Formats: sequence, structure tokens, C-alpha cells
Amino acid sequence: MSKKNIIELNQISKNYERKIALSSLSFVVEKGETIALIGPSGAGKTTLLNMLASNFEPSSGEIFIDGRPLSQLTDRKKRAKKIGIIRQQFDLVGQLAVIHNVLAGRLADWGLGKSLLNLFIPQERQAATQALTRVGLPDKMYERTSNLSGGEQQRVALARLLMQKPEIILADEPVASLDPSRAEDILEMLTKIAKEEQQTVIASLHSVEYARKYFSRLIALKNGELFFDLPADQVTNKQLQELYQLKELK
Amino acid sequence: MSMFSFDLHKRKILTVFLLLLFVWSLLGVKWQDGVIHASGVGTASEIFMAMFTPELSANILALAFESSWITLAYATAGMSLALVLGLVFGILASGVLATRKSSRTFLKGSFRGLLGFMRAIHELVWAWLFVASFGLSPYAAIFALAIPYGGILGRIFADMINDVPNEPIQALQAAGASKLQCLFYGYLPSVKNSMISYTMYRYECAIRSSAIMSFVGLGGLGYQIQLSLDDLNYDEVWTFMYFLTIIVVLIDGWSSLLRKRMAK
Repeated sequence: MSKKNIIELNQISKNYERKIALSSLSFVVEKGETIALIGPSGAGKTTLLNMLASNFEPSSGEIFIDGRPLSQLTDRKKRAKKIGIIRQQFDLVGQLAVIHNVLAGRLADWGLGKSLLNLFIPQERQAATQALTRVGLPDKMYERTSNLSGGEQQRVALARLLMQKPEIILADEPVASLDPSRAEDILEMLTKIAKEEQQTVIASLHSVEYARKYFSRLIALKNGELFFDLPADQVTNKQLQELYQLKELK
Repeated sequence: MSMFSFDLHKRKILTVFLLLLFVWSLLGVKWQDGVIHASGVGTASEIFMAMFTPELSANILALAFESSWITLAYATAGMSLALVLGLVFGILASGVLATRKSSRTFLKGSFRGLLGFMRAIHELVWAWLFVASFGLSPYAAIFALAIPYGGILGRIFADMINDVPNEPIQALQAAGASKLQCLFYGYLPSVKNSMISYTMYRYECAIRSSAIMSFVGLGGLGYQIQLSLDDLNYDEVWTFMYFLTIIVVLIDGWSSLLRKRMAK
């Protein structure tokens, strides 16, 4: 084994009442990989990401992070150092200044005293400035977050992830509510940052085009099952067509 | 789904039924001699005519200023205490600090119950109770205001906190924020503006209540209104009423100024 397996899924299943959301899914992710989860709506992409984020547990099977079961990673602060999450743009606290949303990425490391003091006198301002400069928003530091555009807000969320420095980034439709040029902008930034910080990314995406362009590996889900799992450059158009094909009427 | 629309339908029938009941109840009123006392019409017109001739002599104006100050002071002190009570109990009653589901239910239930008790009893009743126990001291007025207003603020604050959208909170939790950190970085910033404008509105109400409470004998505008009414000095009554109006309008202006600044 040349590279470290950072995520291992072992026969993961998830049922909601009678409906099967995911059925015996297994795959291994190496450190530093950038993975796009694709597939039609309801295929189980969000379910999978939610389980990786510990929002709920699989009905059966086990997830290993760095060789340890995810179910044992119950300390929220320790988990935040392993796994970071970015979603659609409703993720930030709109009433706070941008700098506080960025510095919220440090809450895992800060005690209550320091985090309260930070609301009055911003702490670690240099690091926050650096993070905001990397996402191209150095001049918006003290603006109210809700005044920013959707694309800018998503960059703030990226800056927060820069402060949090998790080993794994889970991105649930990170560009779903953005127009194409801003969407590409965010994806490029996300994958570039991940490469620089040697982070592993798993992102669910609607757009196959973006998935192929920005990610190294595509995992396709259909009806809760693995449809294919291939390096991005080996995926054929025929496979994609089959993936998104609607059920034929019998 | 079909059950739900059926319920909605039933609710409409109930609304119509209640409306009909109200109209029917109007038929029971004896309009000729039941509503207005025969000799009351004269007094009423006298009172309303006095509206245009408020007493503006120096000593009445001085008295009005002094009583306004007392009314304002009681309302402000009572409201400050109510704000502290409302914040602490409201945050506890929202249950966002609870770590487990069972403790959350317990916290929500007990503090919502406590807030309910505080506001179920009207400030005037509290005032009677406190006057009976402390005598005619300012503390009686302040506590009498602070308890029910704290109950109201707490209840509304708790509801506001519970209505905060979940996504930003989840994001904070995912970034490793503890319950208290979520409170200060997520819940409180999200509801701060609504909390301030609701508190300002309640402050306005507190001024009216503070005036009313002084009927109990605690001094202030209400007390002066009562004394003047007893002497049938309607002109003086209107002077005090205008002072009350001015305070309320001023507070309202202040609160809209605050809201405008917050919206920026």
C-alpha cells in the first residue's frame, strides 16, 4: 500500500422505513483524492455525505476514517479536525461580519472565553486575512455576510474551511445555487486549496461536466447502488447516459 | 394528506360558525338603554371637550414632568430587569443548550412553564401583591413590571431562537463549535435584531403599564390622572394624557431609529 486509506466504506446500507436509500456500498478513498459523487436525484449522494458527516449512522456496515470507526469519533472538536463540510450557500450566519464567519472555523480549537472575546476584538486576524486573501475577498472582512452575493458567500465558507483545516472536505452540492461562471470559480478554488493543503475532497455534483473537469475520480450512484467508480478520464459518455437514463416504461 | 385537507375544511366551518355566533350575539344587546348610561353622555362630552383645553399652568406642567419622569423611570428599570430575566430564561426555554434529547425536553418544559406562570399574572395584580408586601416603594412597581414582562420577552425570545434556520447552526457544529459557541456565533447574532425591536416595542407597552400601575398609588402619570379625575379636573387629565402620549411617541421614534441603524 503506497498511499494511506483515509476513508473506507464497508458494506454501507441505509434504509428509511421501507425505502432503501443505499445498499451495501463499499469503496476506499486514498488521502489527497478529489472525488465527485454523481448520479440522478435520489440516488443516495446526500445520504452518503450525511453519513460521512456523522449526521446519522448507517443501518448496517461501517465507515472507517484513518483506520478508526467513524462511530467512535464522537468528540465534536476532534471530528472537526478530521472532517469539514461545505454545503449550499445557506451555511453562514448572515448577521455576523465576514471575519467572524471565517474565524468560526477556529471554534474547535478555542475555548468559550476566547471565542467570546473574538466577537469584540477579532483574534488571529492575520490568519483570517490570509484565508480571505486566498479566496479573493480581502476587502470584505468587516462587511455583513448577508450583504455578500451567493458566490462571495461560498468563498467565505471556503475561507472558514481554510481556518478549520480538516483532513477531509465533504461538499454537498457546493455550487447548486450559483451561475455557471461562479460555480466553476468556486470548484476551481475548492480543488486548488485541497491540493495545496493535501486535503481529501468528496463532493456531490449535479453537473457531470464539472465533475470531469475538476475531480480526479468519479463515483456514480444510481438507486442507492454503486453504478461505476472510475478515474475521471476513463468515464465514457455511454456510461453517463446510462446513469441518468430514466426507467423505460414497460 | 387527505386527512390534512379535511381538517382544513373543518376549520373553515368552525370559523363561519363562530362568525354567525357573534352576529347572533349582537341581537341580544339592548341598544336603547343598555349601552350608554343616560347621564353619561353629558360627562363624556365634557371630558372630550377638555381635550382641546389642557391645563398648561406652570405648576401642573412641573407636576406632569415630574410624574412623567417617575413613570419613565419605573418602566425603564422594570424593563431592564425584564430583559435580563427574558434573555436568561428565554435561552434556557429554547432548549438549544441541552446536550441530550431528554434534557432538552425537560429544560424546554420547565422553563416554558415558568415563563408562562410569570406572564399569566397581570402586572397590576403583581403590583397589588408587591404593594401589600413591600408597601408603596418603587421596588414594588419595578418587580411588578419585570416579572410579567420578563415572562413575555422570554417566551418570544425562546420562539425566535427556535425559529433560527438550521443550516448555519449545523455548519457551526460541523466546524466543532460547542453548544455555547453555537449560541454566541449562531443563534444570538441571527435573532439579535428582532430581539431588539421586540424589546423596544415592549418598552413602549411598559410605559403604558407603568402609568396604569401608578393607579395603585405608586406615583407617576396614572396617579395624577386619577387624582385629577376625582376632582373632575378634565383639563388636567388631558395634560397628563398628552405627556403620556409624547413619551410613547418618543420611544417609538427611538425604536424606529434603532431599527433603521440595524438594517444597515
